[in-house]
Amino acid sequence: MRERERDMADTGEFFVGILVAVLGLVGLVLASGALDDEIYLFGLSLAGFAFLFDMMLVKKHYDRADAARVKVRHD
Amino acid sequence: MIDAHAPSAPLLTAPPIYNEQIVKNFTIASMFWAIVAFLVGCTIAAELCWPGLSMGLSFLNFGRLRPVHTSAAIFAFGGNALLGTSFYVVQRTCRARLFGGSAFADFIFWGYNFFIVMAALSYVMGYSRGQEYSEPPWHVTIFLVVIWVCYIVAFIGTLIKRAEPHIYVANWFYLAFMVTVAILVLVNNAALPISMYSAHAYVAYGGVQNALIQWWYGHNAVGFFLTAGFLGMMYYFIPKQANRPVYSYRLSIVHFWSLIFMYIWAGPHHLHYTALPDWTQTLGMAFSIMLWMPSWGGMINGLMTLSGAWDKLRTDPSLRFSVTAVGFYGMSTFEGPVMSIRDVNALAHYTDWVIGHVHSGALGWVAFISFGAIYYLVPALWKRAGLYSNKLVAWHYWIATLGIVFYMTSMWVAGIMQGLMWRAYDKFGFLQYSFVESVSAVHPYYIIRLLGGLMFLAGALIMVFNLIMTVRSPSTQVVGRSYPAVPGGALMAGE
Amino acid sequence: MQFRHEWIEKNAFLLLVLTIATVAVGGIVEAVPLFTIETTVEHVKGVRPYSPLELAGRNIYIREGCYLCHSQQIRALKDEVERYGHYSLAAESMYDHPFQWGSKRIGPDLSRVGGKYSNDWHYAHLTNPTALVPETLMPRYGFMAETPLEYAEIDRHLKANKALGVPYTDADIANARADLETQANPQADSAGLLGRYPKAVMASGDGRVVTEMDALVAYLQVLGTMVNFADTTTEQMKQ
Repeated sequence: MRERERDMADTGEFFVGILVAVLGLVGLVLASGALDDEIYLFGLSLAGFAFLFDMMLVKKHYDRADAARVKVRHD
Repeated sequence: MIDAHAPSAPLLTAPPIYNEQIVKNFTIASMFWAIVAFLVGCTIAAELCWPGLSMGLSFLNFGRLRPVHTSAAIFAFGGNALLGTSFYVVQRTCRARLFGGSAFADFIFWGYNFFIVMAALSYVMGYSRGQEYSEPPWHVTIFLVVIWVCYIVAFIGTLIKRAEPHIYVANWFYLAFMVTVAILVLVNNAALPISMYSAHAYVAYGGVQNALIQWWYGHNAVGFFLTAGFLGMMYYFIPKQANRPVYSYRLSIVHFWSLIFMYIWAGPHHLHYTALPDWTQTLGMAFSIMLWMPSWGGMINGLMTLSGAWDKLRTDPSLRFSVTAVGFYGMSTFEGPVMSIRDVNALAHYTDWVIGHVHSGALGWVAFISFGAIYYLVPALWKRAGLYSNKLVAWHYWIATLGIVFYMTSMWVAGIMQGLMWRAYDKFGFLQYSFVESVSAVHPYYIIRLLGGLMFLAGALIMVFNLIMTVRSPSTQVVGRSYPAVPGGALMAGE
Repeated sequence: MQFRHEWIEKNAFLLLVLTIATVAVGGIVEAVPLFTIETTVEHVKGVRPYSPLELAGRNIYIREGCYLCHSQQIRALKDEVERYGHYSLAAESMYDHPFQWGSKRIGPDLSRVGGKYSNDWHYAHLTNPTALVPETLMPRYGFMAETPLEYAEIDRHLKANKALGVPYTDADIANARADLETQANPQADSAGLLGRYPKAVMASGDGRVVTEMDALVAYLQVLGTMVNFADTTTEQMKQ
């Protein structure tokens, strides 16, 4: 992946990561005041989803960085 | 294909690297949910044969499981197929990589599937909203809206940055589908929760107004989610598989605009002879009947694309799925208008004929056109020489088709029998049958219907096996091409 | 200059706007007049909001998907009226958020089931339908008799309905919990309850714990009983 594409990917994933983190917080807020089981489960699941998704973004980010480093070394 | 004009500039730049990973994800998810949908469908069909199967457990009873089946079939199986194929088609017909980047696309994929899981859980836990095909509680629906907005942005963004000047016809249909669904969902779900922290909400409309809005929504969920979106699929994959241009550019234009205009009005045919005012019922009936024409326009355009290539139906079993789908589409879009006629509806409403009609469309059109597209996509996306076994595709085709025939015919018989029994008078002028007698009478047909569903499920399992083997088997590897060993992350470059 | 469709095909924004405009028409034409034409909901007497216990029961009916097998809409067809009673009026479901007219009859229509069977019949039938109707396809709902009704927030339910136009009074909302408990207790003094909710049917429970089944039965027993058709003229029923 070229330099510019990598930068654009980084910006994109940064904003998506923030958006998803906000969703996760919303989930925690909903779960905190939950009046029934459904909202409680949904809130916690949303928080869990956000956490796992952001972890996936981090993993992909560093996988990309590693690959670029390997490519540079081979060039 | 239908572009009568030469591109405005010669192709000096290399074609873009398309985001194919996202399409792969959606394809896998679509097949996974297809199996779930068919399994749950067979379960509830069995419960209607032997009600003791739910064992008195709340989370297994028919009323809670039916929305799991309908949501899994429409939104999970159908939805993932639509999102995946739309991303594939829009990139390639626009010659542009998907707008928004990989992370954005991943969010749409995982978010959409998270929505599906949450919706299904909510039904089983006893939080369905109580409106058909619109059951998710308010907070789950809001999450869907977030995802859907992202989906529309990714799609339209790609259209805007296109390198190809014309927007191909498949994209008109995909666009109409996603935008109309957004309007439908937003309007039908207008509701007031009792508290932000509660799953309970009361829909903004009541009684007869709610009825009309619900069936405006419900019929257009069929018309736009299950029809327009899949017509988009048809317009790309049939010409691709047949290696022929679409039959008629002019017909595409006429049937697109007339279809999306007329479909919207058809809702009231779900409410004939009810407390919905007569004028609304009549409007709904009139437009439902007129709708036959643009629907068959689409069927003709799809089928006649095979002109000059009919022998491919013999040699290409996956194309057979797509073309048969269009045939079933024509059948369902004839049956629908017939059932919308008030006098016919007086017999058909509330009976299993409606269920038969739904499933001829859902299995015959929606599922088959998806299978055809997925059989095309998997070798293309995973860069294999072809499908693992064309013979297995043929087996799938015949078992599934036979399953559909059993399903449809058993429901026609059951439905018409119910309708006739309910209105039968004896020679003394009394109603001849008690309601429960009509229940007993349809029992054998419910068993045949279950058999049809099991056959359809079996066909889908054969497909899953075939696709897994296509991806993994050395026999489908492209000959003469060797992929150098690279560190795992570098393969992301192709995304 | 002659119109060419290619102008639309070359302009994503135009395609989007024209598509939205095209799909908007039908819905507006069919839906808006139902809110503006006054006689869409007939001018009949007797329809009242659900009592708190009935509303709770209705929510159980909705969550269990009862509408998937049972309709609540008698059509204006001879055999149907003979089997189930007077055809359904729009007014009878005007306070139903959401409507539960249903679209399939795996079981019979329930629009006028209120008062047709005793409370005891309903309790027995919900617990084990096959014992009363051997050919039935209905699942067992005995778990409802063992499940206490959650009604701590019942006043919020009434408030939400009120905000949407259902005419609950302040007195109704203030007495929501008390009215629910009264209706579930056969020994309680029901004067206040019946003043606010005429024709409400008292439950057959033990009066100690309000169960989900008490609520559902209270709801079922009021269905179709609100309008007195003997007292209603054809003029009133015109849409």
